[in-house]
Amino acid sequence: MNQIKKIKTGNKINSLQKEDNKSLFFIIGIVVLILYYTILFIYPLALAIIRSFYDWNPLRGTLKYTGVENYHNLFRNPLFYISLKNTFIFTVLAVIGRVIISLLIALGLVSITKGRNFLRSAYFLPVIMPIVAVSIIWVWVYHPQVGLLNMFLDAFGLQKQLFLKSPNQALYSVVVMVIWKDVGYSVIIFTAGLLGVPQNLKEAAWIDGANRRKTFLVVTLPAIMPTFTFVLITALISYFQSFVEIFIMTGGGPGTSSYVLSYLIFDQAFKSFNFGYASAISVVLFTLITVVTVIQLKLLQGGNEE
Amino acid sequence: MRKPNQLSKPAEIIVYILLILAAFIALVPFIWLIASTFKNNYEIVGVPATFFPKKITFDHYLYIIGKFKIFTYFFNSLFLAVIKTSAGVYSSVYIGYIFAKFEFHFKNPIYYIIVFTMTVPALVTMIPTYDMANQVNLIDSWWAIILPAVVVSFGIFMMRMYITKAVPTPLLDAAKIDGAGQFFIFHKIVLPLSSNMISALSIFVFLGSWNDFLWPYLVLNTQKKFPLSVALQMMVGQNNTNYGALFVATLLTIVPILIVYWILQNKLIEGVAMTGIK
Repeated sequence: MNQIKKIKTGNKINSLQKEDNKSLFFIIGIVVLILYYTILFIYPLALAIIRSFYDWNPLRGTLKYTGVENYHNLFRNPLFYISLKNTFIFTVLAVIGRVIISLLIALGLVSITKGRNFLRSAYFLPVIMPIVAVSIIWVWVYHPQVGLLNMFLDAFGLQKQLFLKSPNQALYSVVVMVIWKDVGYSVIIFTAGLLGVPQNLKEAAWIDGANRRKTFLVVTLPAIMPTFTFVLITALISYFQSFVEIFIMTGGGPGTSSYVLSYLIFDQAFKSFNFGYASAISVVLFTLITVVTVIQLKLLQGGNEE
Repeated sequence: MRKPNQLSKPAEIIVYILLILAAFIALVPFIWLIASTFKNNYEIVGVPATFFPKKITFDHYLYIIGKFKIFTYFFNSLFLAVIKTSAGVYSSVYIGYIFAKFEFHFKNPIYYIIVFTMTVPALVTMIPTYDMANQVNLIDSWWAIILPAVVVSFGIFMMRMYITKAVPTPLLDAAKIDGAGQFFIFHKIVLPLSSNMISALSIFVFLGSWNDFLWPYLVLNTQKKFPLSVALQMMVGQNNTNYGALFVATLLTIVPILIVYWILQNKLIEGVAMTGIK
Protein backbone atom coordinates (compact mmCIF):
# COMPACT_ATOMS: atom_id res chain seq x y z
CA MET A 1 0.00 0.00 0.00
CA ASN A 2 2.71 2.37 1.05
CA GLN A 3 4.71 1.34 -1.99
CA ILE A 4 1.84 2.20 -4.31
CA LYS A 5 1.40 5.57 -2.66
CA LYS A 6 5.06 6.29 -3.13
CA ILE A 7 4.93 5.36 -6.80
CA LYS A 8 1.89 7.54 -7.29
CA THR A 9 3.46 10.63 -5.71
CA GLY A 10 6.56 9.82 -7.70
CA ASN A 11 4.55 9.93 -10.91
CA LYS A 12 2.85 13.06 -9.85
CA ILE A 13 6.19 14.73 -9.26
CA ASN A 14 7.52 13.47 -12.58
CA SER A 15 4.58 15.01 -14.32
CA LEU A 16 5.13 18.19 -12.33
CA GLN A 17 8.67 18.23 -13.63
CA LYS A 18 7.42 17.92 -17.21
CA GLU A 19 5.06 20.82 -16.57
CA ASP A 20 8.05 22.79 -15.27
CA ASN A 21 9.84 22.48 -18.56
CA LYS A 22 6.84 23.93 -20.40
CA SER A 23 6.54 26.88 -18.03
CA LEU A 24 7.20 30.37 -19.32
CA PHE A 25 9.71 30.76 -16.48
CA PHE A 26 11.87 27.94 -17.78
CA ILE A 27 11.62 29.00 -21.42
CA ILE A 28 12.64 32.60 -20.70
CA GLY A 29 15.57 31.42 -18.60
CA ILE A 30 16.85 29.00 -21.23
CA VAL A 31 16.41 31.46 -24.09
CA VAL A 32 18.32 34.20 -22.25
CA LEU A 33 21.02 31.71 -21.32
CA ILE A 34 21.50 30.38 -24.83
CA LEU A 35 21.35 33.82 -26.47
CA TYR A 36 23.85 35.25 -24.02
CA TYR A 37 26.44 32.53 -24.30
CA THR A 38 26.05 32.23 -28.06
CA ILE A 39 26.39 35.96 -28.76
CA LEU A 40 28.88 36.93 -26.08
CA PHE A 41 30.95 33.79 -25.74
CA ILE A 42 30.76 31.11 -28.42
CA TYR A 43 30.56 33.51 -31.37
CA PRO A 44 33.42 35.81 -30.25
CA LEU A 45 35.59 32.82 -29.31
CA ALA A 46 35.02 31.19 -32.70
CA LEU A 47 35.59 34.51 -34.44
CA ALA A 48 38.85 35.08 -32.56
CA ILE A 49 40.12 31.68 -33.68
CA ILE A 50 38.96 32.06 -37.29
CA ARG A 51 40.11 35.64 -37.73
CA SER A 52 43.53 34.79 -36.32
CA PHE A 53 44.11 33.45 -39.85
CA TYR A 54 43.11 36.78 -41.41
CA ASP A 55 44.74 40.10 -42.04
CA TRP A 56 42.08 41.93 -40.06
CA ASN A 57 42.52 45.62 -39.37
CA PRO A 58 39.36 47.72 -38.93
CA LEU A 59 41.38 50.93 -39.05
CA ARG A 60 42.76 50.16 -42.51
CA GLY A 61 39.56 48.31 -43.39
CA THR A 62 41.31 45.06 -44.33
CA LEU A 63 39.82 41.60 -43.92
CA LYS A 64 41.69 39.02 -45.97
CA TYR A 65 42.45 35.37 -45.39
CA THR A 66 46.20 34.95 -45.05
CA GLY A 67 46.51 31.42 -43.66
CA VAL A 68 49.08 30.96 -40.94
CA GLU A 69 50.89 34.20 -41.69
CA ASN A 70 49.93 35.83 -38.38
CA TYR A 71 51.31 32.86 -36.48
CA HIS A 72 54.36 32.75 -38.71
CA ASN A 73 55.07 36.42 -38.00
CA LEU A 74 54.37 35.96 -34.32
CA PHE A 75 56.83 33.12 -33.92
CA ARG A 76 59.51 35.23 -35.61
CA ASN A 77 58.84 38.26 -33.43
CA PRO A 78 61.46 38.64 -30.66
CA LEU A 79 58.97 40.65 -28.60
CA PHE A 80 56.70 37.59 -28.48
CA TYR A 81 59.44 35.56 -26.81
CA ILE A 82 60.22 38.36 -24.37
CA SER A 83 56.52 38.58 -23.50
CA LEU A 84 56.20 34.81 -23.23
CA LYS A 85 59.19 34.57 -20.89
CA ASN A 86 57.95 37.48 -18.79
CA THR A 87 54.45 36.00 -18.58
CA PHE A 88 55.89 32.77 -17.19
CA ILE A 89 58.22 34.56 -14.77
CA PHE A 90 55.38 36.79 -13.60
CA THR A 91 52.91 33.93 -13.17
CA VAL A 92 55.25 31.46 -11.51
CA LEU A 93 56.70 33.98 -9.06
CA ALA A 94 53.32 35.48 -8.20
CA VAL A 95 51.71 32.08 -7.65
CA ILE A 96 54.57 30.70 -5.55
CA GLY A 97 54.98 33.90 -3.54
CA ARG A 98 51.29 34.21 -2.90
CA VAL A 99 50.73 30.56 -1.93
CA ILE A 100 53.71 30.36 0.44
CA ILE A 101 53.12 33.69 2.16
CA SER A 102 49.38 33.18 2.53
CA LEU A 103 49.80 29.63 3.83
CA LEU A 104 52.29 30.88 6.44
CA ILE A 105 49.97 33.71 7.49
CA ALA A 106 47.00 31.34 7.64
CA LEU A 107 48.96 28.88 9.80
CA GLY A 108 49.87 31.77 12.08
CA LEU A 109 46.25 32.95 12.20
CA VAL A 110 44.81 29.58 13.25
CA SER A 111 47.41 29.17 15.99
CA ILE A 112 46.53 32.40 17.79
CA THR A 113 43.47 33.07 19.88
CA LYS A 114 43.02 36.84 20.05
CA GLY A 115 42.78 39.38 17.24
CA ARG A 116 42.31 36.86 14.46
CA ASN A 117 39.37 38.70 12.87
CA PHE A 118 41.05 42.07 13.01
CA LEU A 119 44.21 40.79 11.37
CA ARG A 120 42.24 38.92 8.73
CA SER A 121 40.38 42.13 7.82
CA ALA A 122 43.68 43.97 7.45
CA TYR A 123 45.11 41.35 5.08
CA PHE A 124 41.95 41.34 3.03
CA LEU A 125 41.76 45.09 2.50
CA PRO A 126 44.13 45.30 -0.52
CA VAL A 127 42.22 42.46 -2.22
CA ILE A 128 39.04 44.44 -2.72
CA MET A 129 40.75 47.65 -3.80
CA PRO A 130 40.44 48.74 -7.45
CA ILE A 131 43.52 47.58 -9.34
CA VAL A 132 43.84 50.95 -11.05
CA ALA A 133 43.97 52.81 -7.73
CA VAL A 134 46.35 50.31 -6.18
CA SER A 135 48.66 50.44 -9.21
CA ILE A 136 48.80 54.24 -8.98
CA ILE A 137 49.61 54.05 -5.26
CA TRP A 138 52.41 51.57 -5.95
CA VAL A 139 53.89 53.70 -8.71
CA TRP A 140 54.52 56.13 -5.88
CA VAL A 141 55.59 53.48 -3.40
CA TYR A 142 58.29 52.56 -5.97
CA HIS A 143 59.21 56.15 -6.89
CA PRO A 144 63.01 56.29 -7.36
CA GLN A 145 63.48 59.52 -5.37
CA VAL A 146 60.55 60.04 -3.02
CA GLY A 147 58.88 56.62 -2.87
CA LEU A 148 57.79 54.99 0.36
CA LEU A 149 60.05 51.99 -0.17
CA ASN A 150 63.12 54.09 -0.86
CA MET A 151 62.24 56.08 2.26
CA PHE A 152 62.53 52.86 4.27
CA LEU A 153 65.71 51.78 2.47
CA ASP A 154 67.19 55.20 3.16
CA ALA A 155 66.22 55.05 6.82
CA PHE A 156 68.05 51.72 7.18
CA GLY A 157 71.10 53.14 5.41
CA LEU A 158 70.55 51.06 2.28
CA GLN A 159 70.97 52.24 -1.27
CA LYS A 160 67.92 53.60 -3.05
CA GLN A 161 66.61 51.49 -5.93
CA LEU A 162 65.10 52.40 -9.29
CA PHE A 163 62.38 49.72 -9.13
CA LEU A 164 59.91 50.39 -11.99
CA LYS A 165 62.44 52.57 -13.80
CA SER A 166 65.00 49.78 -14.02
CA PRO A 167 64.77 47.18 -16.81
CA ASN A 168 66.09 44.58 -14.36
CA GLN A 169 63.64 45.32 -11.57
CA ALA A 170 60.41 46.50 -13.20
CA LEU A 171 58.77 43.11 -13.76
CA TYR A 172 59.72 41.82 -10.31
CA SER A 173 58.46 45.02 -8.71
CA VAL A 174 55.05 44.46 -10.28
CA VAL A 175 55.11 40.85 -9.05
CA VAL A 176 55.74 42.02 -5.49
CA MET A 177 52.84 44.47 -5.74
CA VAL A 178 50.55 41.72 -7.03
CA ILE A 179 51.52 39.36 -4.22
CA TRP A 180 50.91 42.15 -1.71
CA LYS A 181 47.47 42.76 -3.20
CA ASP A 182 46.29 39.17 -3.49
CA VAL A 183 47.75 37.42 -0.45
CA GLY A 184 44.73 38.28 1.69
CA TYR A 185 42.36 36.41 -0.60
CA SER A 186 44.15 33.09 -0.21
CA VAL A 187 44.70 33.78 3.51
CA ILE A 188 40.91 33.71 3.94
CA ILE A 189 40.53 30.53 1.90
CA PHE A 190 43.44 28.76 3.60
CA THR A 191 42.27 29.82 7.05
CA ALA A 192 38.81 28.41 6.33
CA GLY A 193 40.43 25.24 5.00
CA LEU A 194 42.72 24.88 8.00
CA LEU A 195 39.90 25.44 10.49
CA GLY A 196 38.02 22.69 8.65
CA VAL A 197 40.75 20.10 9.35
CA PRO A 198 39.29 17.71 11.93
CA GLN A 199 40.81 18.46 15.32
CA ASN A 200 40.70 14.80 16.44
CA LEU A 201 42.93 13.76 13.52
CA LYS A 202 45.57 16.22 14.61
CA GLU A 203 45.27 15.10 18.21
CA ALA A 204 45.57 11.46 17.19
CA ALA A 205 48.80 12.22 15.31
CA TRP A 206 50.03 14.22 18.28
CA ILE A 207 49.35 11.33 20.69
CA ASP A 208 51.10 8.94 18.31
CA GLY A 209 54.18 11.06 18.86
CA ALA A 210 54.24 13.09 15.67
CA ASN A 211 55.87 16.49 16.09
CA ARG A 212 54.40 19.70 14.75
CA ARG A 213 56.05 19.42 11.36
CA LYS A 214 55.07 15.79 10.94
CA THR A 215 51.48 16.55 11.94
CA PHE A 216 51.41 19.31 9.35
CA LEU A 217 52.78 17.10 6.57
CA VAL A 218 50.74 13.98 7.38
CA VAL A 219 47.42 15.40 8.55
CA THR A 220 46.98 19.07 7.73
CA LEU A 221 48.47 19.25 4.25
CA PRO A 222 46.47 16.32 2.76
CA ALA A 223 43.31 17.67 4.37
CA ILE A 224 43.67 21.10 2.76
CA MET A 225 44.80 19.70 -0.61
CA PRO A 226 41.48 20.53 -2.40
CA THR A 227 41.72 24.10 -1.08
CA PHE A 228 45.32 24.21 -2.22
CA THR A 229 44.39 23.04 -5.74
CA PHE A 230 41.64 25.63 -5.92
CA VAL A 231 43.94 28.50 -4.94
CA LEU A 232 46.70 27.34 -7.26
CA ILE A 233 44.54 26.99 -10.35
CA THR A 234 42.52 30.19 -9.93
CA ALA A 235 45.73 32.13 -9.25
CA LEU A 236 47.42 30.66 -12.28
CA ILE A 237 44.56 31.44 -14.64
CA SER A 238 44.31 35.02 -13.44
CA TYR A 239 48.06 35.80 -13.46
CA PHE A 240 48.49 34.51 -16.99
CA GLN A 241 46.23 37.35 -18.12
CA SER A 242 47.34 40.13 -15.76
CA PHE A 243 47.12 43.37 -17.64
CA VAL A 244 46.03 46.49 -15.76
CA GLU A 245 48.95 46.53 -13.32
CA ILE A 246 51.46 46.31 -16.18
CA PHE A 247 49.53 48.90 -18.21
CA ILE A 248 49.48 51.46 -15.37
CA MET A 249 52.78 50.76 -13.65
CA THR A 250 55.27 50.14 -16.45
CA GLY A 251 53.50 50.28 -19.82
CA GLY A 252 55.62 47.26 -20.71
CA GLY A 253 58.82 49.19 -20.01
CA PRO A 254 61.42 50.36 -19.46
CA GLY A 255 61.93 49.49 -23.10
CA THR A 256 60.21 46.16 -23.49
CA SER A 257 61.52 44.69 -20.24
CA SER A 258 58.11 44.09 -18.66
CA TYR A 259 56.04 43.15 -21.71
CA VAL A 260 53.68 40.26 -21.03
CA LEU A 261 51.43 38.46 -23.53
CA SER A 262 48.29 40.29 -22.45
CA TYR A 263 50.06 43.62 -22.89
CA LEU A 264 51.28 42.57 -26.33
CA ILE A 265 47.68 41.67 -27.28
CA PHE A 266 46.43 45.05 -26.07
CA ASP A 267 49.25 46.83 -27.84
CA GLN A 268 48.56 45.11 -31.16
CA ALA A 269 44.77 45.23 -30.91
CA PHE A 270 43.99 48.64 -29.55
CA LYS A 271 46.99 50.75 -30.43
CA SER A 272 47.74 49.44 -33.93
CA PHE A 273 44.32 47.82 -34.54
CA ASN A 274 45.95 44.68 -35.91
CA PHE A 275 42.95 42.62 -34.76
CA GLY A 276 43.94 39.50 -36.69
CA TYR A 277 47.49 39.44 -35.36
CA ALA A 278 46.31 40.22 -31.81
CA SER A 279 43.73 37.41 -32.09
CA ALA A 280 46.53 35.01 -32.99
CA ILE A 281 48.42 36.02 -29.81
CA SER A 282 45.26 35.64 -27.74
CA VAL A 283 44.71 32.14 -29.16
CA VAL A 284 48.28 31.25 -28.14
CA LEU A 285 47.64 32.64 -24.64
CA PHE A 286 44.39 30.71 -24.37
CA THR A 287 46.09 27.47 -25.46
CA LEU A 288 48.86 28.02 -22.92
CA ILE A 289 46.40 28.58 -20.08
CA THR A 290 44.40 25.48 -21.03
CA VAL A 291 47.47 23.26 -21.30
CA VAL A 292 48.97 24.46 -18.03
CA THR A 293 45.64 24.09 -16.19
CA VAL A 294 45.14 20.55 -17.47
CA ILE A 295 48.71 19.52 -16.60
CA GLN A 296 48.30 20.99 -13.15
CA LEU A 297 45.00 19.21 -12.54
CA LYS A 298 46.52 15.91 -13.72
CA LEU A 299 49.58 16.33 -11.50
CA LEU A 300 47.61 17.31 -8.43
CA GLN A 301 45.05 14.54 -8.90
CA GLY A 302 47.86 12.03 -9.47
CA GLY A 303 49.47 13.23 -6.24
CA ASN A 304 46.22 12.76 -4.36
CA GLU A 305 45.74 9.18 -5.44
CA GLU A 306 49.08 7.98 -4.14
CA MET B 1 49.31 17.83 27.77
CA ARG B 2 49.66 20.64 25.29
CA LYS B 3 47.15 20.64 22.46
CA PRO B 4 48.61 20.35 18.96
CA ASN B 5 47.64 23.89 17.94
CA GLN B 6 48.76 25.52 21.13
CA LEU B 7 52.03 27.42 20.94
CA SER B 8 54.54 27.98 23.68
CA LYS B 9 54.58 31.53 25.06
CA PRO B 10 57.71 32.79 23.24
CA ALA B 11 56.59 31.17 19.99
CA GLU B 12 53.22 32.84 20.34
CA ILE B 13 54.82 36.25 20.77
CA ILE B 14 56.94 35.75 17.65
CA VAL B 15 53.88 34.68 15.66
CA TYR B 16 52.02 37.79 16.84
CA ILE B 17 54.89 40.07 15.89
CA LEU B 18 55.11 38.56 12.40
CA LEU B 19 51.35 38.71 11.86
CA ILE B 20 51.17 42.33 12.99
CA LEU B 21 54.12 43.19 10.76
CA ALA B 22 52.28 41.62 7.82
CA ALA B 23 49.16 43.65 8.67
CA PHE B 24 51.32 46.78 8.80
CA ILE B 25 52.70 46.04 5.34
CA ALA B 26 49.16 45.48 4.03
CA LEU B 27 47.95 48.83 5.37
CA VAL B 28 50.91 51.21 5.22
CA PRO B 29 50.55 52.24 1.54
CA PHE B 30 46.98 53.38 2.24
CA ILE B 31 48.00 55.35 5.33
CA TRP B 32 50.78 56.99 3.35
CA LEU B 33 48.34 57.83 0.56
CA ILE B 34 45.92 59.47 2.99
CA ALA B 35 48.73 61.46 4.63
CA SER B 36 50.05 62.55 1.23
CA THR B 37 46.71 63.99 0.09
CA PHE B 38 47.31 66.81 2.61
CA LYS B 39 50.81 67.68 1.35
CA ASN B 40 51.42 70.41 -1.20
CA ASN B 41 53.00 69.35 -4.50
CA TYR B 42 56.45 70.67 -3.55
CA GLU B 43 56.49 68.49 -0.48
CA ILE B 44 55.28 65.43 -2.43
CA VAL B 45 58.24 65.49 -4.82
CA GLY B 46 60.67 67.13 -2.40
CA VAL B 47 63.78 65.30 -1.15
CA PRO B 48 64.01 64.06 1.55
CA ALA B 49 60.58 62.49 1.30
CA THR B 50 58.16 62.76 4.21
CA PHE B 51 55.59 60.33 5.54
CA PHE B 52 53.28 62.76 7.33
CA PRO B 53 52.66 66.26 5.93
CA LYS B 54 54.76 69.08 7.35
CA LYS B 55 52.07 71.59 6.54
CA ILE B 56 48.47 70.60 5.91
CA THR B 57 46.64 71.80 2.80
CA PHE B 58 43.13 71.04 1.51
CA ASP B 59 43.78 72.50 -1.95
CA HIS B 60 43.83 69.11 -3.67
CA TYR B 61 40.41 68.21 -2.29
CA LEU B 62 38.95 71.50 -3.49
CA TYR B 63 40.49 71.02 -6.93
CA ILE B 64 39.26 67.44 -7.31
CA ILE B 65 35.72 68.24 -6.23
CA GLY B 66 35.43 71.64 -7.95
CA LYS B 67 37.52 71.47 -11.14
CA PHE B 68 37.93 67.76 -11.76
CA LYS B 69 34.23 67.18 -10.99
CA ILE B 70 34.92 63.83 -9.42
CA PHE B 71 31.29 63.35 -8.43
CA THR B 72 30.30 62.96 -12.09
CA TYR B 73 32.58 59.95 -12.38
CA PHE B 74 31.56 58.78 -8.95
CA PHE B 75 27.88 58.63 -9.93
CA ASN B 76 28.74 56.98 -13.25
CA SER B 77 30.54 54.23 -11.36
CA LEU B 78 27.73 53.94 -8.84
CA PHE B 79 25.01 53.82 -11.50
CA LEU B 80 26.82 51.17 -13.54
CA ALA B 81 27.58 49.11 -10.44
CA VAL B 82 23.97 49.18 -9.22
CA ILE B 83 22.54 48.20 -12.62
CA LYS B 84 25.11 45.49 -13.20
CA THR B 85 24.69 44.08 -9.71
CA SER B 86 20.88 43.99 -9.86
CA ALA B 87 20.78 42.38 -13.30
CA GLY B 88 23.70 40.03 -12.73
CA VAL B 89 22.58 38.76 -9.34
CA TYR B 90 18.93 38.34 -10.37
CA SER B 91 19.89 36.34 -13.44
CA SER B 92 22.37 34.26 -11.43
CA VAL B 93 19.68 33.17 -8.98
CA TYR B 94 17.22 32.60 -11.83
CA ILE B 95 19.56 30.44 -13.92
CA GLY B 96 21.21 28.87 -10.87
CA TYR B 97 17.75 27.75 -9.76
CA ILE B 98 17.02 26.24 -13.18
CA PHE B 99 20.27 24.24 -13.04
CA ALA B 100 19.67 23.22 -9.45
CA LYS B 101 16.07 22.03 -9.66
CA PHE B 102 15.08 21.43 -13.30
CA GLU B 103 15.80 18.41 -15.47
CA PHE B 104 16.24 19.03 -19.20
CA HIS B 105 18.19 17.84 -22.22
CA PHE B 106 21.86 18.89 -22.50
CA LYS B 107 21.76 20.24 -18.94
CA ASN B 108 25.27 19.13 -18.11
CA PRO B 109 26.94 20.07 -21.41
CA ILE B 110 25.46 23.57 -21.14
CA TYR B 111 26.61 23.82 -17.55
CA TYR B 112 30.14 22.78 -18.50
CA ILE B 113 30.24 25.50 -21.13
CA ILE B 114 29.35 28.03 -18.44
CA VAL B 115 32.10 26.75 -16.15
CA PHE B 116 34.49 26.70 -19.10
CA THR B 117 33.85 30.40 -19.83
CA MET B 118 35.42 31.21 -16.49
CA THR B 119 38.80 29.89 -17.67
CA VAL B 120 38.86 31.65 -21.04
CA PRO B 121 40.92 34.86 -20.88
CA ALA B 122 38.75 37.94 -21.32
CA LEU B 123 41.27 39.24 -23.84
CA VAL B 124 40.43 36.43 -26.29
CA THR B 125 36.78 37.36 -26.67
CA MET B 126 37.37 41.07 -26.18
CA ILE B 127 38.60 41.83 -29.70
CA PRO B 128 35.59 40.27 -31.54
CA THR B 129 33.23 41.70 -28.91
CA TYR B 130 34.69 45.15 -29.48
CA ASP B 131 34.21 44.68 -33.21
CA MET B 132 30.59 43.63 -32.61
CA ALA B 133 29.93 46.61 -30.36
CA ASN B 134 31.35 48.79 -33.09
CA GLN B 135 29.08 47.31 -35.76
CA VAL B 136 25.90 47.75 -33.71
CA ASN B 137 26.92 51.30 -32.77
CA LEU B 138 27.35 50.65 -29.08
CA ILE B 139 30.82 52.19 -28.84
CA ASP B 140 30.75 55.07 -26.37
CA SER B 141 27.48 53.79 -24.93
CA TRP B 142 26.87 52.40 -21.44
CA TRP B 143 24.91 49.59 -23.06
CA ALA B 144 28.20 48.12 -24.22
CA ILE B 145 29.18 47.86 -20.55
CA ILE B 146 25.83 46.73 -19.16
CA LEU B 147 24.80 44.07 -21.72
CA PRO B 148 27.79 41.76 -21.24
CA ALA B 149 27.15 41.94 -17.48
CA VAL B 150 23.54 40.71 -17.46
CA VAL B 151 24.71 37.10 -17.03
CA VAL B 152 27.48 36.25 -14.57
CA SER B 153 29.07 32.82 -15.01
CA PHE B 154 30.55 32.45 -11.57
CA GLY B 155 27.26 33.75 -10.11
CA ILE B 156 25.37 30.90 -11.79
CA PHE B 157 28.01 28.50 -10.52
CA MET B 158 27.72 29.75 -6.93
CA MET B 159 23.93 29.95 -6.92
CA ARG B 160 23.50 26.45 -8.36
CA MET B 161 25.69 25.00 -5.61
CA TYR B 162 23.85 26.96 -2.95
CA ILE B 163 20.26 26.41 -4.12
CA THR B 164 20.79 22.65 -4.56
CA LYS B 165 21.39 22.46 -0.82
CA ALA B 166 19.52 25.44 0.66
CA VAL B 167 16.16 25.05 -1.12
CA PRO B 168 14.38 21.76 -0.27
CA THR B 169 12.79 20.10 -3.33
CA PRO B 170 9.74 18.79 -1.36
CA LEU B 171 8.90 22.39 -0.48
CA LEU B 172 8.90 23.33 -4.16
CA ASP B 173 6.77 20.26 -5.02
CA ALA B 174 4.28 21.13 -2.29
CA ALA B 175 3.95 24.64 -3.70
CA LYS B 176 3.42 23.22 -7.19
CA ILE B 177 0.72 20.82 -5.96
CA ASP B 178 -0.99 23.82 -4.39
CA GLY B 179 -1.04 25.35 -7.85
CA ALA B 180 1.73 27.93 -7.52
CA GLY B 181 3.34 29.01 -10.80
CA GLN B 182 7.11 29.03 -11.34
CA PHE B 183 7.43 32.83 -11.14
CA PHE B 184 5.61 32.79 -7.83
CA ILE B 185 7.78 29.97 -6.52
CA PHE B 186 10.94 31.72 -7.67
CA HIS B 187 10.11 35.08 -6.12
CA LYS B 188 8.43 33.87 -2.93
CA ILE B 189 10.43 30.74 -2.08
CA VAL B 190 13.74 30.51 -3.93
CA LEU B 191 14.85 34.15 -3.66
CA PRO B 192 14.18 34.49 0.10
CA LEU B 193 15.81 31.14 0.88
CA SER B 194 18.94 32.15 -1.04
CA SER B 195 19.35 35.53 0.66
CA ASN B 196 22.64 34.61 2.34
CA MET B 197 24.38 33.74 -0.87
CA ILE B 198 22.65 36.61 -2.68
CA SER B 199 24.23 39.15 -0.35
CA ALA B 200 27.69 37.58 -0.72
CA LEU B 201 27.33 37.47 -4.51
CA SER B 202 26.03 41.06 -4.64
CA ILE B 203 29.15 42.32 -2.90
CA PHE B 204 31.39 40.42 -5.34
CA VAL B 205 29.56 41.70 -8.40
CA PHE B 206 29.40 45.25 -7.06
CA LEU B 207 33.12 45.30 -6.29
CA GLY B 208 33.87 43.69 -9.64
CA SER B 209 31.97 46.45 -11.40
CA TRP B 210 33.48 49.26 -9.34
CA ASN B 211 36.99 47.93 -10.00
CA ASP B 212 36.43 47.13 -13.67
CA PHE B 213 38.76 48.99 -15.96
CA LEU B 214 39.80 47.60 -19.34
CA TRP B 215 36.44 47.16 -21.07
CA PRO B 216 35.00 50.57 -20.07
CA TYR B 217 38.36 52.10 -21.02
CA LEU B 218 38.14 50.56 -24.49
CA VAL B 219 34.50 51.29 -25.34
CA LEU B 220 33.98 54.75 -23.83
CA ASN B 221 35.29 57.89 -25.53
CA THR B 222 33.28 60.71 -23.99
CA GLN B 223 34.87 61.90 -20.80
CA LYS B 224 31.65 62.61 -18.94
CA LYS B 225 30.57 58.98 -19.35
CA PHE B 226 33.73 57.61 -17.69
CA PRO B 227 33.53 55.59 -14.50
CA LEU B 228 36.04 56.47 -11.76
CA SER B 229 38.65 53.87 -12.73
CA VAL B 230 38.88 55.22 -16.28
CA ALA B 231 38.85 58.84 -15.14
CA LEU B 232 41.69 58.03 -12.77
CA GLN B 233 43.77 56.47 -15.51
CA MET B 234 43.07 59.47 -17.71
CA MET B 235 44.57 61.68 -14.99
CA VAL B 236 47.74 59.59 -14.97
CA GLY B 237 47.83 59.50 -18.77
CA GLN B 238 47.64 63.27 -19.09
CA ASN B 239 51.06 63.37 -17.47
CA ASN B 240 50.04 66.19 -15.18
CA THR B 241 52.17 67.30 -12.31
CA ASN B 242 49.33 67.91 -9.88
CA TYR B 243 50.32 64.86 -7.85
CA GLY B 244 48.29 65.77 -4.79
CA ALA B 245 45.13 65.94 -6.88
CA LEU B 246 45.90 62.48 -8.26
CA PHE B 247 46.25 61.20 -4.69
CA VAL B 248 42.90 62.67 -3.68
CA ALA B 249 41.20 61.16 -6.74
CA THR B 250 42.78 57.79 -5.94
CA LEU B 251 41.65 58.04 -2.33
CA LEU B 252 38.09 58.98 -3.30
CA THR B 253 37.98 55.96 -5.61
CA ILE B 254 38.74 53.61 -2.75
CA VAL B 255 36.68 55.31 -0.02
CA PRO B 256 33.33 53.79 -1.10
CA ILE B 257 35.00 50.37 -1.09
CA LEU B 258 36.29 51.04 2.41
CA ILE B 259 32.77 51.91 3.56
CA VAL B 260 31.21 48.82 1.94
CA TYR B 261 33.98 46.75 3.48
CA TRP B 262 33.55 48.28 6.92
CA ILE B 263 29.84 47.43 6.97
CA LEU B 264 29.87 44.07 5.21
CA GLN B 265 33.29 42.57 5.90
CA ASN B 266 32.00 39.50 7.71
CA LYS B 267 29.57 38.63 4.92
CA LEU B 268 32.29 39.21 2.37
CA ILE B 269 34.91 37.09 4.12
CA GLU B 270 32.35 34.32 4.67
CA GLY B 271 31.52 34.49 0.97
CA VAL B 272 35.17 34.15 -0.06
CA ALA B 273 35.63 31.26 2.36
CA MET B 274 32.55 29.58 0.82
CA THR B 275 34.01 29.74 -2.71
CA GLY B 276 37.14 27.88 -1.61
CA ILE B 277 35.59 24.95 0.23
CA LYS B 278 32.86 22.86 -1.23
